[in-house]
Amino acid sequence: MRKYVVIYRAVFIENLQYTANIMMGFITYLILSVVFLNLWGYMYDAPGELIAGYTKEQMIWYVMITEMIWFGARSSTVREQVAADIRGGNIAYLINKPYRYPFYILAKYTGEWNIQLSMYAGLTAVVGCMMVGALPNFHWSTLAAVVPCIVLGMTIHAVFKICISMLSFWIEDAKPFQWLYDKLILVVGTIFPVEIFPAAVQPVLKLTPIYTVCYGPAKLIVDFSVEKYLEILLAQVLYLAFGSVILLWIYERGGRKLYVNGG
Amino acid sequence: MKVIEAEDLSKNFRVKRKEKGMRGSIRSIFHPQTEEICAVDSVSFGVEEGEILAFIGPNGAGKSTTIKMLTGILYPDSGHVEVLGIDPVRKRRQLAYQIGTVFGQKEQLWTHLTPYDNFRFFGAIYDLDNDAAESRIAELAEIFELGAFINTPVRNLSLGQRIRCEIVASLIHRPKVLFLDEPTIGLDPVVKENIRVLIKQMNRELHTTIFLTSHDIGDIEKLCKRIVIVNAGQIVLDDSMEHLKYHYLNKKIVEVKLQEEALWPPMEGITILKKKGGNIKFEVDTAILKINDVLRGINAEHIQDINISNIPLENIIMEIYRTEGRADRL
Repeated sequence: MRKYVVIYRAVFIENLQYTANIMMGFITYLILSVVFLNLWGYMYDAPGELIAGYTKEQMIWYVMITEMIWFGARSSTVREQVAADIRGGNIAYLINKPYRYPFYILAKYTGEWNIQLSMYAGLTAVVGCMMVGALPNFHWSTLAAVVPCIVLGMTIHAVFKICISMLSFWIEDAKPFQWLYDKLILVVGTIFPVEIFPAAVQPVLKLTPIYTVCYGPAKLIVDFSVEKYLEILLAQVLYLAFGSVILLWIYERGGRKLYVNGG
Repeated sequence: MKVIEAEDLSKNFRVKRKEKGMRGSIRSIFHPQTEEICAVDSVSFGVEEGEILAFIGPNGAGKSTTIKMLTGILYPDSGHVEVLGIDPVRKRRQLAYQIGTVFGQKEQLWTHLTPYDNFRFFGAIYDLDNDAAESRIAELAEIFELGAFINTPVRNLSLGQRIRCEIVASLIHRPKVLFLDEPTIGLDPVVKENIRVLIKQMNRELHTTIFLTSHDIGDIEKLCKRIVIVNAGQIVLDDSMEHLKYHYLNKKIVEVKLQEEALWPPMEGITILKKKGGNIKFEVDTAILKINDVLRGINAEHIQDINISNIPLENIIMEIYRTEGRADRL
């Protein structure tokens, strides 16, 4: 475990040098926040009105928090580096060390998102309070309880992204699958909460990892309940276990098919 | 005691084939064609503990593929391999603690970190505790003379300094076998020589077995006592450097400058390579004719200048590539 902490630490130190680059992403975040603030402003006719069980403030805060997670989770390491390592053969020089390559990538990714998400969390808090006002019925203890859900959600996200990237062992380009997964996460769970969708579709959505990545943590922050908390936590643990098994299986199977250009 | 044992090791790659042009590209979508390339073909050899072995061959001969199978990166299609008694295929991570690898064309160091931080990083990767890592870094920093730049970020180092650090990073966990894949590529002659001295010193003082691939004949000549030549995926020569020289260096090149009027006595065992006025370059087959006899045959008064040299090892190896393998891959 210590070696993965060391990898995490090295990446964390490296990414501290790129905080200015991360801040460039704030512009897109702010534009999207203003768009959704106005959009939901038109949708809600009267103060106190509920749409899919959310007040206007809760809905805007929900979107801002999921956007925060979305932007915080952006990473070329899990999206591009793994696929590039496999296609270019660089993986050969990474797997001959006494660690498991998928966990090495996971440790690197954690070092990245820790900085990104912290910065976006600060921005979200400031912008949210200025544009919407304080979140109704919010308690700091809720945030402390939700932090493990955020960590689990980010890890599940990475595990599935790495799984998709590792399809490069068999196919030329895994980007179309990445695109599909990203868009599903964005539409189902980020821009709109699961409750917005028709009742018949909701159980299906709850069976996807999307439910545990963005929706779960954001829902708990805006509308915390112990039952929901336990439900999401259990879903996350199951998804993480399932995703990890799939990841290691793909890695072991793919490793046997490894072809390194130039020997 | 053998530290590396490879028996009938083979590896094939399936490579896509596509006809030229747009038509070929469209056709390849509906009828994809592949070709099986044999990269390594029933290769068998062993390496003794403490040995420095040169594993050489032309591009595409199967050197790197063999190294990658020995280090557990690639799975052999058939055959058996053991490194330090460990099966690299089944126990790659266990083997990783016992071996080190330096690929001259790939960097393993983190460029934003200093060499010291990198060594601490690799120390942790190889489960060294802090004290063990510190003392090992101090020991290697002294041997490899890293003191002047150990705290400079790797991205600011020269290529020679970086390669030294790459080697140190590979030695941090005291590997018993070190795989060096073209460690001196792109280095200037002085730095190359320094690296060779350090590799030799490391082998002598730390008893590390070294498996070297290089296209640089100087590396092979100055470091290795045994040479394995591969071509087209097969071993075409496995011999000691001494034997190689004995068998293939039985010819000498003599360049002599004689007075214009001097007569050149015909002798068996001599092949004239070049002749212009009094300047003659010829090859002597020492199995037929001794150099002493050649010199006796030429009147010493007529000699203005003379130079006797061995056939360069590079020429010998090229000759082996041509005669024992497929010349078209050179």
